[in-house]
Amino acid sequence: MKLEVKGIHKSFGDKEVLHGVSFEVESGRALGLLGRNGAGKTTTIRILMDVFHASSGEILLDGKRFVPSRHQIGYLPEERGLYPKRTVIDQMVYLATLRGMRSKEAKESAKKWLARLEVAEYETKKLETLSKGNQQKVQLAATLVSNPEIVILDEPFSGLDPVNSQILKDVVNELIGENRLVIFSSHQMSYVEEFCDNIAIIDQGEVALAGELKDIKKEYGRNRLMLSAGNYTLEQLRGRIEREWRDIAEVSGRKKEFLILELKDGADKRRLLEQLARSDVDVERFGDYEPSLNDIFVAKVGEEE
Amino acid sequence: MRKFVIVLKYELKEYFSNKVFIGLTIFLAALGAGILFLPRFVDMSGFTGVKIVGSQEEPGEETPEDEKQLFLYADQAGIVKEEILQQMFPDARWQKAEPDAIKTSVEAQEAEAGFVVTGKTQYQYYVFNKPMADHNNAMFEQAMKLFYRMDYCDLAGWDLDEVAAMYDVPITVEEQVLNKDSGSNYWYCYVLVIIVFMLIVYYGQMIAVSVTNEKSNRAIEVLVTSTSPNSLLFGKVVAGAIGGVFQMGVLLGAILLSYQANREQWGGMLDMFLHIPAEVIWSFAFFGLGGYLFYAFLYGAMGALVSKTEDVSKSASGLMVVVMIVYFFSLVQLTNVDGIVIKVLSFLPVSSYSTMFARIGMGTVAIWEIIVSFLILVLSIFGAGILGAKLYRMGTLRYGNPIKLGSALKDLKKSE
Repeated sequence: MKLEVKGIHKSFGDKEVLHGVSFEVESGRALGLLGRNGAGKTTTIRILMDVFHASSGEILLDGKRFVPSRHQIGYLPEERGLYPKRTVIDQMVYLATLRGMRSKEAKESAKKWLARLEVAEYETKKLETLSKGNQQKVQLAATLVSNPEIVILDEPFSGLDPVNSQILKDVVNELIGENRLVIFSSHQMSYVEEFCDNIAIIDQGEVALAGELKDIKKEYGRNRLMLSAGNYTLEQLRGRIEREWRDIAEVSGRKKEFLILELKDGADKRRLLEQLARSDVDVERFGDYEPSLNDIFVAKVGEEE
Repeated sequence: MRKFVIVLKYELKEYFSNKVFIGLTIFLAALGAGILFLPRFVDMSGFTGVKIVGSQEEPGEETPEDEKQLFLYADQAGIVKEEILQQMFPDARWQKAEPDAIKTSVEAQEAEAGFVVTGKTQYQYYVFNKPMADHNNAMFEQAMKLFYRMDYCDLAGWDLDEVAAMYDVPITVEEQVLNKDSGSNYWYCYVLVIIVFMLIVYYGQMIAVSVTNEKSNRAIEVLVTSTSPNSLLFGKVVAGAIGGVFQMGVLLGAILLSYQANREQWGGMLDMFLHIPAEVIWSFAFFGLGGYLFYAFLYGAMGALVSKTEDVSKSASGLMVVVMIVYFFSLVQLTNVDGIVIKVLSFLPVSSYSTMFARIGMGTVAIWEIIVSFLILVLSIFGAGILGAKLYRMGTLRYGNPIKLGSALKDLKKSE
């Protein structure tokens, strides 16, 4: 199953908020939809869910027009919402039956997911009596209760403690392992890095960057090296590079434990390594630098601020 | 359709698992029935005019002499007849006294009241604390008129019984109302107009609040991605209608059946409110329910235009004004049920819910008028439902400040 979002535009009144958003994702893979607040992630998701209609553009599933009502979709909205005064099981069965399950099947599935998320003991309790974290888990159980083939999770980790985050991580990994199509929107880059093979960074209603995460990382890491020394502080090391080896590389960034160097055109890392070997620098860490998703996100979205 | 039924069942559970809703319904029904069964167990003959069978106090039984209240009188005109006073005041013990003694005794609360007759048409009345409804003085005034007539007839040599018979000659009338008796139908139509008004305002507001609640607790975002807004709004409104009909049905049913069972004990005195002809009940059920559904859809849409429950009344205020105007006109026009104003109102979907059954109950209405009015109402309900669902769909995901109805309709038009 392949979902393709192609050139989506959306206007509210005279204001266009999405200017041609495109990305794609396949079953068994997860797409990380990233962007700053107000970038257009939730609007894109709502168009996917047919809550809003796109002004133009198309969404295809396996090459055909995507009609959400014909598919089982589990949607966890950013703004969590269930009925505070109804029992957990009641509302889960309600949502599952609305999504096409039979009542008995819905009840069994609800119990299964509550148990999987370790909140089975609250099944007959009113939602408002549960802690925020447990309400969050119930919300996730309600998202998955109809065993959806497409799962859209908008900020699923917000409000979860590390233990509950681990449970959720396991569940998301299981979903990906079960060949579901997962779209994952989050500000927490570490989670996106952990689950997603593809990313799409949306900035001010446009896709600023999209593609396979490993390729993007490779592209962003090209000609970049990391360097640290046992007998020099990072500042001292920066000084030496700028004085003695500026024709080979320049310092483009600094992490807590190493410097990030960018090779000059025509230079290669072997030449730098030779220079370092001839010097008194006690090389502690030297190698290709692989940027984190956070670095890529800040570099891509931050520079356009 | 299946999803509508699912929403309906879920919403109905909200009503029927609500202990306050069920408890209040049962309590009010039991209270109404209990009051109407009272004359079977308690002597309410003073109110109903009917004595219950097996009552301890048999008709004609006199108050014991020592329990009778002391009434004093002085007769300076020489016309008072004590035996007549005794008949007119069966619970009183009459004694003749001097005028000064009368005032002193009443002041000392030894006597209940005192009367000093100073002329054939004049008397003084003494009472210590005058009650709100002072029957003694009114009764004594009647007695004085009788004394005057007796004295007048004596002097003229007339027979008082003969004069009285001539004066109060009984007239026999055989009334045959060929269509409606507006006089006797007025009050229950009045009550039914109030009931349907209360139903619309109370349950309409409840539906609006319920929609806003879903919006404020964000459940709506999950719901609109799981089913159509039509299923959601229709399910919610129909559940509210069933809840309202259940509550009102149980309450009215208990009251009407209890009255029917105790009508004899009440001496038929509540007929004007509770002895409602079947055709009026049916027209009330159809038109009342129709009007309720019409407004309920619009209330649901108004609920979707705001994000906080405290803004619901503001959003629904325009609708409330319409309901109030219709209510006012309906009540005013009850005295002129064949007039042109009520005829026009009985065809408009905003007002036919109360004016048509009032016309059926009290006026002249052709069957085609009822059918046309009902068809207009049914079509308008669907129209209101579709418009309501569109506003609901549009309003549910727009958070923040309340959306004005005018701008909501404009946006709706633009999006189409």
